[in-house]
Amino acid sequence: MLGSKVTALSFLFLLLLGFSNCESQTETTMHTNNWAVLVCTSRFWFNYRHMANTLSLYRTVKRLGIPDERIILMLADDMACNARNKYPAQVFNNENHKLNLYGDNVEVDYRGYEVTVENFFRVLTGRHENAVPRSKRLLSDEGSHILLYMTGHGGDEFLKFQDSEELQSHDLADAVKQMKEKRRFKELLLMVDTCQASTLFSQLQSPGALAIGSSMKGENSYSHHLDSDVGVSVVDRFTFYTLAFFERLNIYDNASLTSLFGSYNPSMLMSTAYYRTDLYQRRLEEVPVTNFFGSVMETIHTDSAYRVLSRKESGSVEIRMSTEKSDHDKERLLLNSNDLDQIGELNTEDQRGNIECIWSTFHKELQKVKDVDSFVNYGLVIMLPLLTVSLWLSW
Amino acid sequence: MAEISEEPPNPIPPQPQPQPQHTHQPSESTIRKAKPGLKRLTLTLSVLVSFIFAFPFLYKSVEIHRAPLPFREIDSLSSQIRSNNNRPSLSFPCHFQAIFVNFNNSNAETLESLIFDELTKLTSNTTSQCSTLSVKLVNSGPIWSLIGAVDFGGDDESVDEALAGVLGGEKLYSVVVVKGESEEVKGVVGKYRHGWVVGRVSEVEAAERVAEMFVKVFVNGGKEEGFIHGEFMPVGADGRIVLSFNLLNSNPHDWVYDWDFQAIDDTLLAPIIKALGPVANISAESQVLYHTPKSSFSFWDDKRKGYIFSTKDLPFFVNSNEWHLDTSIAAGGRSKILQFVVYVPSAKECPLLLQLPNGEISKTNGFISPMWGGVIVWNPQGCLKDSESQHPIRQTISRQDLQKIFEVFMGQFRQLFGLKSDNLYFCSSGTYSLLASEKGFSEWELDFLARRHTCFNLHSCATTLGSLSRLVQSLPRMIIMDEIGKQVKYSLEAANLAQRNASLGLYDASAVSSRQARSLAEDAFFHPSIISVSYYSFEHCFAVYSD
Repeated sequence: MLGSKVTALSFLFLLLLGFSNCESQTETTMHTNNWAVLVCTSRFWFNYRHMANTLSLYRTVKRLGIPDERIILMLADDMACNARNKYPAQVFNNENHKLNLYGDNVEVDYRGYEVTVENFFRVLTGRHENAVPRSKRLLSDEGSHILLYMTGHGGDEFLKFQDSEELQSHDLADAVKQMKEKRRFKELLLMVDTCQASTLFSQLQSPGALAIGSSMKGENSYSHHLDSDVGVSVVDRFTFYTLAFFERLNIYDNASLTSLFGSYNPSMLMSTAYYRTDLYQRRLEEVPVTNFFGSVMETIHTDSAYRVLSRKESGSVEIRMSTEKSDHDKERLLLNSNDLDQIGELNTEDQRGNIECIWSTFHKELQKVKDVDSFVNYGLVIMLPLLTVSLWLSW
Repeated sequence: MAEISEEPPNPIPPQPQPQPQHTHQPSESTIRKAKPGLKRLTLTLSVLVSFIFAFPFLYKSVEIHRAPLPFREIDSLSSQIRSNNNRPSLSFPCHFQAIFVNFNNSNAETLESLIFDELTKLTSNTTSQCSTLSVKLVNSGPIWSLIGAVDFGGDDESVDEALAGVLGGEKLYSVVVVKGESEEVKGVVGKYRHGWVVGRVSEVEAAERVAEMFVKVFVNGGKEEGFIHGEFMPVGADGRIVLSFNLLNSNPHDWVYDWDFQAIDDTLLAPIIKALGPVANISAESQVLYHTPKSSFSFWDDKRKGYIFSTKDLPFFVNSNEWHLDTSIAAGGRSKILQFVVYVPSAKECPLLLQLPNGEISKTNGFISPMWGGVIVWNPQGCLKDSESQHPIRQTISRQDLQKIFEVFMGQFRQLFGLKSDNLYFCSSGTYSLLASEKGFSEWELDFLARRHTCFNLHSCATTLGSLSRLVQSLPRMIIMDEIGKQVKYSLEAANLAQRNASLGLYDASAVSSRQARSLAEDAFFHPSIISVSYYSFEHCFAVYSD
């Protein structure tokens, strides 16, 4: 006995303890996966090389380990089965025809007329309709590194989409800003292979974004060679040298981004490949290319199994547990029912409104008007008496 | 011809006539004599009045519909959740009681002050979720005598059940310290909300152990700091998780295995899913795949009589080109899918064993990847291959093997939530063994997860709503639909409810409402109508009518 005195005391300490455990700090966020968004913005036969560019990069990225479920491929996809294609269902990026890019396992997510600026922004920002399947969504999280590759015809601060729309650089910067705000990526590598490519990312401001373009403002990007058999140019220079760099690598390599960016020779490219690193915190020598182009999987070994030693039911404790749980459930249900009511109201008309002043009443009346055009017509009709009065006065 | 000849004489006479008409007529009827008077004024005013009268109609017809968003409430929520200097504003009250048995010579006050000191030491420099801790010391009363009657010498499970019988009714965390005869001090944490320490302990050591069990185990969930990394919160934005179980036969020409997943689903998986109900809405699917080789390599080891792959190969084990795992149709766009793979190797690589960096062979042959799922390599019994038949018959994995696989899966599932898969916790003053529960998680672990997820969800909700309000305010010409306004309103209400529940100590209810708050905030932010190409410019006012 601890003395005859009743000594059940309770002390309350208000310990103001730190809350930082509830915030996920980006510096300590693990790099958990890689995503690739590959966009070819051109269509028609003479833009064969743009589709070959995109498919070559798709093949490279898949070979280095990024799976189809983490690649969003947007192509007009009108080359392989084009009536002018001498080699039906085959797309080449070299005149030696050694590699058929359209061979096996090409999964195009957005094809044909689905490649629009709106869909592109929907992919980046994640604002899809409810029915869009998971394979067409960019399901990245705060630990993702995203490779965004765009090719096609471009100009000063814009990129042409399918010969009918334009993607402006400030819209792209805005989309990236929203992605960063919503923590949809940890790091982003933007590669653009168009004319005047570096103007497209001139307005980027989000930290963690790294961008490289095939040419600077005022310069054109050129195709590499013409395939006289197929009849069109089959690859662009920037992409050709990028692929040449990656053909030497496999998934175990750790070549850095500096070696990739340094491999572009302006005289071979006939343009200056310009990259901006001012928004990127890490040093390029320390970043392996597989951080963007390959796959990464952080793995943790499972030390032991979770064994429940005895599975015999003990009756009284079961009952006690179940009553406790049912109390729990009742409690939960009680609070939940409130919420369910509120959620149910989401779909019904919100009857109660704030009737604070006459204008709001008027406003509500106006809301009920379904056909605005006829309402405006009524308003004009009311003006007619005024007009007739004034006309009568003038005679 | 006749017309032409007739025409010339005609125009000539009228020509001089209009001119005198012009000079004469104005003086007669078109020139005003009087100054513009009331009539003109009335005319002008009537036109002006009718324009002014119709102007509101015009303005209303070109107005962009923006549902009003409660910006002030969003800002206040953000500031409440994220106080400055990282001090917590989300307060979970945690109540503890310490029960000392057989401490005949000790003084209650000294014990209390010792516990107080230890608690202050442990909580001063670390961060924690519990902002108020209350500790009660019990040394008399009915509970104390009942506990005194429990036999602490028996096995852990029965002691646990007996203590639950005594303490089960209250929602406090309890630690019982029993001064026993044995030299070695044993600390066990039960499946419910209590733990006990048995052995020859001094007062100081007892206080240390009690404080440790309170802070490190019950409050911080058995981790060193209660730190939340985003990669151990696998709940999707709509509060749902889909568990996708896949049995992979890498080479069906060697052997083909099937499993009775339905039985596992009903008996073993259902209690776990129910237990995690407040934290996430979980559903499970399963499939069996064939021709699924892995992409890393392994080599034969004579000593261990098996094919060895090391932890360095783990990142390359999952062959995403051949393993078509993400085929779930039940998962919505914002749910999280966790893949659990049971890999049956081919005869060429059987048995396939995982070697740890310290040279030992793994007991579980499994690993996880945070936010992705887990892989278990299961080797068929004896690696016997029926080489005669061309088409191997489909065999089913036996119930015992399936049970063992399920236990490893349970360990992996716990790891994905940031808890440990094993049941020993090493601490500065000793080790504690954590008892395992059929539900997969003990009660105090469920409390810990509920608290953690509440914090995370509220934080995410506040950030999302803050981003949405900043976005909306920066674009005055963007349409905001009513649905977004409603979702924001309900999200704020759910967040407030979660905060209230948290302050009352209702962990599960606060987890549920915080999940709803986060889901609604995400729905509002990711509403498909907020797309930048449809922002209206100023010319919209006129463009509406120009058509």
